[in-house]
Amino acid sequence: MGALMVIFSLQKDQRRKRTDSVEDELELSAVRHRPEGLEQLEALTRFNRKELQILYRGFKNECPSGVVNEDTFKDIYSQFFPQGDASKYAHFLFNAFDTNKDGSVSFEDFVMGLSILLRGSVQEKLNWAFNLYDINKDGYITKEEMLDIMKAIYDMMGKCTYPLVKDDTPRQHVELFFQKMDKNKDGVVTIDEFIDCCQNDENIMRSMQLFENVI
Amino acid sequence: MAAGVAAWLPFARAAAIGWMPVATRPMPVPPREKKKSQDQGLLVLNVSGQKFQTWSNTLERYPDTLLGSTERDFFFHEETNEYFFDRDPDIFRHILNFYRTGKLHYPRQECIAAYDEELSFFGIIPEIIGDCCYEEYKDRRRENQERLQDDEDDEKEDVAPLNMTFREYMWRAFENPHTSTTALVLYYVTGFFIAISVMANVVETVPCGTLPNRAKEISCGDRYALAFFCLDTACVMIFTVEYLLRLIAAPSRYNFMKSVMSIIDVVAIMPYYIGLVMTDNDQVSGAFVTLRVFRVFRIFKFSRHSAGLRILGYTLKSCASELGFLLFSLTMAIIIFATVMFYAEKGSTSSKFTSIPAAFWYTIVTMTTLGYGDMVPKTIVGKIFGSICSLSGVLVIALPVPVIVSNFSRIYHQSQRAEKRRAQKKTRIAKIRASKSRGTNAYMHYKQYNGHFLTHSSLEEACKEAGQLLVGKPNIPFESHHHHLLHCLEKTTNHEFIDEQTFETNCMEVTMVNKSGSRTSSMSGSSSPHGLSSCCSRRHRRKSFSLPNSNNQELSTIQIRERPIVNSRSSLNAKPDFETVPLKSGHSYVTSSVVTLPPAASSLLTSSDNGGSSSSTCNYSQSNIVRVSAL
Repeated sequence: MGALMVIFSLQKDQRRKRTDSVEDELELSAVRHRPEGLEQLEALTRFNRKELQILYRGFKNECPSGVVNEDTFKDIYSQFFPQGDASKYAHFLFNAFDTNKDGSVSFEDFVMGLSILLRGSVQEKLNWAFNLYDINKDGYITKEEMLDIMKAIYDMMGKCTYPLVKDDTPRQHVELFFQKMDKNKDGVVTIDEFIDCCQNDENIMRSMQLFENVI
Repeated sequence: MAAGVAAWLPFARAAAIGWMPVATRPMPVPPREKKKSQDQGLLVLNVSGQKFQTWSNTLERYPDTLLGSTERDFFFHEETNEYFFDRDPDIFRHILNFYRTGKLHYPRQECIAAYDEELSFFGIIPEIIGDCCYEEYKDRRRENQERLQDDEDDEKEDVAPLNMTFREYMWRAFENPHTSTTALVLYYVTGFFIAISVMANVVETVPCGTLPNRAKEISCGDRYALAFFCLDTACVMIFTVEYLLRLIAAPSRYNFMKSVMSIIDVVAIMPYYIGLVMTDNDQVSGAFVTLRVFRVFRIFKFSRHSAGLRILGYTLKSCASELGFLLFSLTMAIIIFATVMFYAEKGSTSSKFTSIPAAFWYTIVTMTTLGYGDMVPKTIVGKIFGSICSLSGVLVIALPVPVIVSNFSRIYHQSQRAEKRRAQKKTRIAKIRASKSRGTNAYMHYKQYNGHFLTHSSLEEACKEAGQLLVGKPNIPFESHHHHLLHCLEKTTNHEFIDEQTFETNCMEVTMVNKSGSRTSSMSGSSSPHGLSSCCSRRHRRKSFSLPNSNNQELSTIQIRERPIVNSRSSLNAKPDFETVPLKSGHSYVTSSVVTLPPAASSLLTSSDNGGSSSSTCNYSQSNIVRVSAL
């Protein structure tokens, strides 16, 4: 009987080891990422040391593992827009920040994106915005892509708006946008048309300078 | 809003640049901010005020962690020449000890989630926790995961998905009877009928007095055969209907049919149908009688109604290995002792131990300490082995039982906790919702009062000379930046945020307007309900402008039509009626304030195709001047 008990307990151990190894695999696959050193990042971006320090601390606090995955990103962005649903727009933003398309935004991606948005030239900012709208990154903004983006922006407003957001409000907005931007009326907006048109529009140029002193 | 998220506000504001090219109206001016003093080495580690000191060699022992790599440079604070971390000092103590001794310990009094967070912040993997603390850490972690899993399951249960088909609705009603009243009624009715059926089965075997022409007593079942048959029929009908409904409503019928509860249901009602089908054949009626035994399985249908019964079943299932061990060791012991007793008692005359299988009965009765006394050993050897048998029986049975008991207790306590948490969750969710609505109300208030605030400051500015910089504004906190962000979104989409109440009244008005039909009647209709408060009537006035326009008009035409409003007030200040009263006196200042905030007038004129250029330029210059002085 003693031998049987020993055999029995060995069996139990094996079973436990099997389940543990599955757990362990899941733990080890939790990504931990460390960014480049402060000097390299200073060289790559237009932030100075102090600003990078501040940015990193905030980033690291929210994401101790050092990378943001899309769900966390959506959560964080949605906190700023409690009335509506910011997840679709956050998805597009995430793709715009995740330049190497690996499914997560590291601190380098984050800070390089911010550097363009806050310290870049108007040309660079417009480039970034074009990149955001061009969902499949083929160099053309089609009406469908713009409609997706527009719907995502209107979703952030939620339903309690004045006047009421109707079903074709985003579509109308897209039509307006294309009327303004699509010079040769070929149904797509290229990067040159986009930049040209924005540079001629005082409003847009002025609004691009809006967030210069955010950090 | 979570405090940590405040750190992401700069990012959210930067990302707002993505809205700029599609915006049709210009953006509001951002709030001014004072230059904040920044926090930011001899190896002093200052963790939330508690100072730790260590050699840098110590930290560099583990170069793939935060403290051991260049990552700690991000946390260097030049003014005090130390590394500052805004984290928990108590847990940090253990982390620093890891660098010093090479062993990571898990403090028992800390919350497992907090500890995990600190570890991941400092880049240390939990696997290196020393053997002394690893078991505890793993156990606590598993408990936490189970609790999270429970929470998720509960959430899925409580949140009713919209647009459920009738089938999904039925299934939900069956599985969670507390969700709707019909489900609850069904639940109690089936419970009642299960009880009735079981009691009828029991009562019909009770002897019930004698028939006049027979001496033997007959059971109640035979005496009132018809009544019992009717009762049985009724119960089986209800059970059949319930089973069929469940089968129809089940999302996966195959899985449902495989599940234990459905098998119990089938077994409970089968005997009746088999009994109907079978004729009064003598041969078969014997089998029919045994089938009746299966009717007692109806009592297991109660497990849907009793959580305790389900826990018991679940415990037995989860302790299957312990039970298996118990059974196996008992069988072994029975065979050994039965053999010994048989051979010991073989010699004695008229012994009941006729064969080894016959001795099994004695061994079982003795090992479980029952001791009926129908079979007793007579020889001395037999008695010696009999006593050894009863002593070992106690041990063998007592060993696996505590494991089963502890399993049961753990599962039972878990379910108790789940019940408590479910009750607490409702209050917690209500509080969270209240604080969320406070956040959105704060934005509404900002919109209402900001105009007031800024006109005061612009009054001051107008008193001073144009060109004097920096009116003393108070330090603008996080909230004002957030409100500015929301304001930008409003401008991008050309729609405004309103709170729930006004949204509801708007919906009511829209339906009223739609009923009335024509445009003119809509204008009169919207102004007719005088009973509403002043804010609503003011909105009617605004609505009378935009409602006829909002039906399939270009956005540019809407903007042109809104021009008349602008001269009186900017759209920002247009909402609360009471604002107009104090500001009407300082009319010139009102105009300047109009242009300070989203320069709606100038933008409208420029964005429409044929804006009056002269007026636009003069507004522009005004906006430029005021802009400079505001900054």
